[in-house]
Amino acid sequence: MASKTLRPKGRVIAAYLAPGLLVYCFIVIVPLIISLIYSLYDYSGGANMKFIGLKNYSYLIKDMDFWNSFKNNLVIIFLSMIGQVGVALVITAAMISKSLKFKAMHRNIIFLPVVVSAIVVGFLWTIIYNKDFGFLNYLLKSVGLGSLIVPWLDNPKYVMISVSIPIIWQYIGFYLVIFLAAVQGISKDIYESADIDGAIGIKRSIYITIPLLSDTLKIAVMLCIAGNMKIFDHIFVMTGGGPGTSSMVMSQYAYINSFVMFKLGYGSAISIGILVLSLALILTSRKLWGGNKDEE
Amino acid sequence: MKNKIFRSITLFLATAMVVSLAACGSSVSSDTSTATTAAKTDAVATESSKEPLALSFIHMFPVEDTEGNSIAFHKALEKFKGENPNITINEEPLSHDNYETKIRTLAAGNELPDIFIVKGSMTNMFIENKLINPVDDVLNNDKEWNDSFLQGAFNDFIVDGKNYGIPFQMLNTHLIYYNKQILNDAGISTFPDTWAGFLDAINKLKAKGITPISLGNKGNWVAESCILSTLGDRFTGVDWFNSIKDKKGAKFTDPEFVNALAALQNLAKVGAFNSDLNSIDNMQQKTAYYNGKAAMFMEGNWAISNVVNDAPKDIQDNTELALLPAVDGGKGDAMANSAGAAWAYNVNSQLSGEKLAAAFKVLKGVTDADYATISVESNAFPASNPKSLDKTKLAPLASKYLDLAAKIKAVPIYDAQLPAGLIQVMNTGLQDLLISSITPEDLAKKIQAEYEK
Repeated sequence: MASKTLRPKGRVIAAYLAPGLLVYCFIVIVPLIISLIYSLYDYSGGANMKFIGLKNYSYLIKDMDFWNSFKNNLVIIFLSMIGQVGVALVITAAMISKSLKFKAMHRNIIFLPVVVSAIVVGFLWTIIYNKDFGFLNYLLKSVGLGSLIVPWLDNPKYVMISVSIPIIWQYIGFYLVIFLAAVQGISKDIYESADIDGAIGIKRSIYITIPLLSDTLKIAVMLCIAGNMKIFDHIFVMTGGGPGTSSMVMSQYAYINSFVMFKLGYGSAISIGILVLSLALILTSRKLWGGNKDEE
Repeated sequence: MKNKIFRSITLFLATAMVVSLAACGSSVSSDTSTATTAAKTDAVATESSKEPLALSFIHMFPVEDTEGNSIAFHKALEKFKGENPNITINEEPLSHDNYETKIRTLAAGNELPDIFIVKGSMTNMFIENKLINPVDDVLNNDKEWNDSFLQGAFNDFIVDGKNYGIPFQMLNTHLIYYNKQILNDAGISTFPDTWAGFLDAINKLKAKGITPISLGNKGNWVAESCILSTLGDRFTGVDWFNSIKDKKGAKFTDPEFVNALAALQNLAKVGAFNSDLNSIDNMQQKTAYYNGKAAMFMEGNWAISNVVNDAPKDIQDNTELALLPAVDGGKGDAMANSAGAAWAYNVNSQLSGEKLAAAFKVLKGVTDADYATISVESNAFPASNPKSLDKTKLAPLASKYLDLAAKIKAVPIYDAQLPAGLIQVMNTGLQDLLISSITPEDLAKKIQAEYEK
């Protein structure tokens, strides 16, 4: 709500933005262009580069391992939508109720995993999932549910779910903080009139809080998709894509092709593939979501 | 005016904040790049050999590792440092799997340190990208050093008739470490020497509630290097492998190889392995053995020192060594075993002059006959002949190994001589094979497809 006289000149704005933009260019845009160039070559990492045009891409489209990895990314995104965004929404709704004490402490504790390194989280959960010495199996055995014990990270049927749980656990706090900040922007008058009209508790959350958060929700969904399309650290540490390729995700696949099989050209093509698919997903989600809003 | 100063300070602070955030992430990589630029500038200046030199050395021998090679390496390196105070060695020790990851990444980014270790399957890529040079000249200039090496020690690293690595170990990647007490309790008095007997022994062990074979294949090389390289040979014989390596017509879809895959999958199907075989690594597979919950584990001769140092006394006393038995109708020799140097030292191809000479001096200190003596006394198995061998210093298990090793016929290890891309497909596929997610025929086709690219 700054008045016109206080608004700085365009030049000044550009000058303040320039350092950040420059760094962004170097760290994101330039490597992207280099990646695009590498993906047109057969390159094993040293001085030898052989131009092969779009051959990497024609192979990529037929590569079942790549599409399998994409499917795994979709599984993680789906579970994260429910687990990260969904649970964060529920906790947000609970946090604005008057009867909750120590709000700051709750928020800080839930946010704590976000600042822990992803590799540490991965290792932590690998130990928790360990068949003989892991905390999870110990817990199940001590409450008598030993029959539920399965090899958590070994069975391809549910290894994706086992691997998604640490990812969800780590980033709930992130979305919680975003939603809490957005909730501050909702004027108290609305809640007071809602109280007068008799909309309290869950009704208040569903009909008032969440619709007013819808812009923030759109951003959260976009962040969720973008972040989970790139997910790497947790899976690298927990299963390395295994068993076989059942928990392979696209970044892990790009890494293996680049640094284990020494096919950097193909690895770069996979990275460009990740970019294209992420953009496609985000645009689709905006169309679906944005479309609904316009109808109101 | 005051406003101008205020604004320029703010702008400066903003820039500093942004740039410092970007700079802190790159401090690790700049270390290795300054090391290589230092190498180039040092090499240009002419210095006497007593001038202080610094060399960067990334290796896979963590200080607290009880593996024989690690213990021997550190002893030999300390001795070298004592004799050569003018050479500073900046070491970066990593565990085996982490080392593999890091060295591949550095190689792909052309940022290798001065001295490093190369795996057989990576040799081709390193040569193609001119990251390493042949070591024949250096070895030919030092006859004593050259002659101390065992027969066939260089095989894994000879490409186009030139030798590209200085080996420090002669591995047998396949050994069955078994607890004879547990086997006796299950009614097996001697280690089976037929495949049928082996399967029968597994059933007897299962009946007693013991895990027959503890396998940790998270790193995905264990099943291929420690089991399939030998099991495959039992079925195919070494001629098939040489034909594959030289591209002379053998295929992975040949029935002998498919039968080997089927036999491995069959072991998994009858429950010979622990159920979490793909989520624990080769270090953790030994834990079940040390606890007496598993009857055997399969690993190479490098694990002898681990057993000597880590296993409880009664387990260690009861440990015996054996090989996979012969298979009916197999073309391989019953005493054939996957062996070779597998890994070897080499130096950065950009080193020259004093630094190059110093680097090879370091390597001599960790691979020559004196090193061999230290190595054998640490229960490791060097690639060179020790100057003197005091058998009483060896652990009983190491002596048992040496007796067995004398009877073994060496055949190539798959991941020491086949290219990296092919090995990756094979290793990943084996993880699937062991949990019956893929049939042997399909896996053979997959490997063959990668081979034909």
